[in-house]
Amino acid sequence: MTLRGSGRERVMTPRECFSAAMNHEQPDRLLIDMGKHIGSLHRGAYIKLRDYLGDETMVNENTILDRMAQTVVPDESLLQRFDIDFRWVVPHWVQVTEREDVLGYVDMWGVPYKATETVDHYVVDGAPLLHATVDTIDDFQWPDPHDPDQFKGMREQAKHLFENTDYVIGADAIKAGVLMNSLQMRGFEQFFMDLVIDKEFAEALMDRILSTLKEMWSRYMEEVGPFVQIVYLTDDLGSQTSLLISPKLFREMIKPRIKELHDHIKSLADVQLMFHTDGAVLPLIDDFLEMNVDILNPVQTSLTGMQDTFALKESFGDRLSFHGAIDVQQMLPNATTDELEQEIALRIYDLGRNGGFILAPCHNIGHDVPPENVVTLFEKARKLGQDPASLGNILERDSSYFARHG
Amino acid sequence: MSINDELYDAIVFGERDVVIEIVREAVANDEDVSELLNVTMIPALREVGDQFSTGEVFVPEMLVSARAMQGGIDIIEPLLAKSGHQPIAKICVGTVKGDVHDIGKNLVVMMLKGSGFEVEDLGVDCLVEDFEGAVERGAEVVCLSALLSTTRDEMRSVIDHFKHRDDVRIVVGGAVITQDFADEIGADAYGADASDAVRAVRAALGLASVSS
Repeated sequence: MTLRGSGRERVMTPRECFSAAMNHEQPDRLLIDMGKHIGSLHRGAYIKLRDYLGDETMVNENTILDRMAQTVVPDESLLQRFDIDFRWVVPHWVQVTEREDVLGYVDMWGVPYKATETVDHYVVDGAPLLHATVDTIDDFQWPDPHDPDQFKGMREQAKHLFENTDYVIGADAIKAGVLMNSLQMRGFEQFFMDLVIDKEFAEALMDRILSTLKEMWSRYMEEVGPFVQIVYLTDDLGSQTSLLISPKLFREMIKPRIKELHDHIKSLADVQLMFHTDGAVLPLIDDFLEMNVDILNPVQTSLTGMQDTFALKESFGDRLSFHGAIDVQQMLPNATTDELEQEIALRIYDLGRNGGFILAPCHNIGHDVPPENVVTLFEKARKLGQDPASLGNILERDSSYFARHG
Repeated sequence: MSINDELYDAIVFGERDVVIEIVREAVANDEDVSELLNVTMIPALREVGDQFSTGEVFVPEMLVSARAMQGGIDIIEPLLAKSGHQPIAKICVGTVKGDVHDIGKNLVVMMLKGSGFEVEDLGVDCLVEDFEGAVERGAEVVCLSALLSTTRDEMRSVIDHFKHRDDVRIVVGGAVITQDFADEIGADAYGADASDAVRAVRAALGLASVSS
């Protein structure tokens, strides 16, 4: 069978490659992803790329995927051009209200956002539960988990993709996770302190968020469960250099709740579960495995403990798969073509052995990334991913971005 | 005056009520609150900052300690002001235009306040004019924070803006900032984390660093 965009016979379809890779067996070729939330193109980067490619089929400039990050939904033509193996179905933004005082909105969790000066993205601008108590949590206007609009049309979309394409079909995240929502609703500083000095409140808030998310995921999986192979969940547990909270506090307060959500979703559908957390989270990877995580995203390779992807694969590769590993914070905006090629080769070499790897940008591709590097990323990844024998020569070259920049 | 161990521990372990009780008692007994601050409270918070740098404590514990410290400072501050006590220096701290991440910046503000500086927190997404305004109000050091690589270059604009001002020092920090980048854009000092920011500000002002 020939798939569009490749021009060559393939033994395995993307979906078959995914199945092999998740069983930690070597697929025919490298899996490549782009286009889900936290992993798409910023509107500014999209416009630059469109102009660079002169591609008139790219018309999604104003089709926003994530309003906060100002990313766009990539056009089908762009996904085909870059030979992307995944197609993501995305829950609709519901129960959002526009603000009248500033350019901004209030999301379904009641968290207000406002646009930055340049409207490059939106920022959290207040914490609706800052003054709440255990007794008043239920008085809050919680999102309606049974809103029929949240997943409207998604069943048809997922079914169509499942029946008419060979792509891996993913259920994109419901924004956001138990910890991140708690931090945003309560205010970062107050909730961090609650975890230490007001555990009763912290637990009550997290439990309320957890029960809401479980109900939403039940409905979500009713719609798309039979057609998707991967689900995406997000939270943030790490900073650039370490963890946001201690492993002990994480295990006591956060982990049991995220695990409960993961177990719930896995009981609803036969899916691989991909968990997103930014940061230097190496000390928690065994915990992620206990939390029923199949795939860790994004492997932020510019950070402490996450640079050594060979060691990461050695330690966890038989039990855990990896998604990401292409740094967008430092490397992708600044790397030369040679450095980019070597970086791609290194991550494929380190993480791609025996499957278990999906190459993708670690985060959204920002407007500081030159369009040349976006094109090089996907073209080289596809080429090198089909030709593992070529990796050795490239790795012998002295063109490591991270070596040059310490 | 020797160190007050009970107060020191109360700050390290974040026991705000205990801090308030001890400081109130000290005030009632007419103790020298300026010494209490310098000999016990500032070193206690510095220890928490050091523990944060070495990964012994994390953001929640540091926030709780800073909150406990603030409980004491709220009592002491009016008394210090009345006695003509001056802060070490006036500082402003803000996240540069286009960047909206503020946990790290907030920790820097807390550490600086807890180290004897008067700090004006300019918040996130700050324009050059915001920093300019703070300097007009007396800030000697401008601390710039950025988490995103897309906003790093905005730091350059702020530094360029103050280039002709010999009386303004610039300290930079944040996730995507390195010593190399700080040198490249001509910052006076670079802080690797919230605790190191205090050292960097002192260095920028030509003050000796304080060991814990």
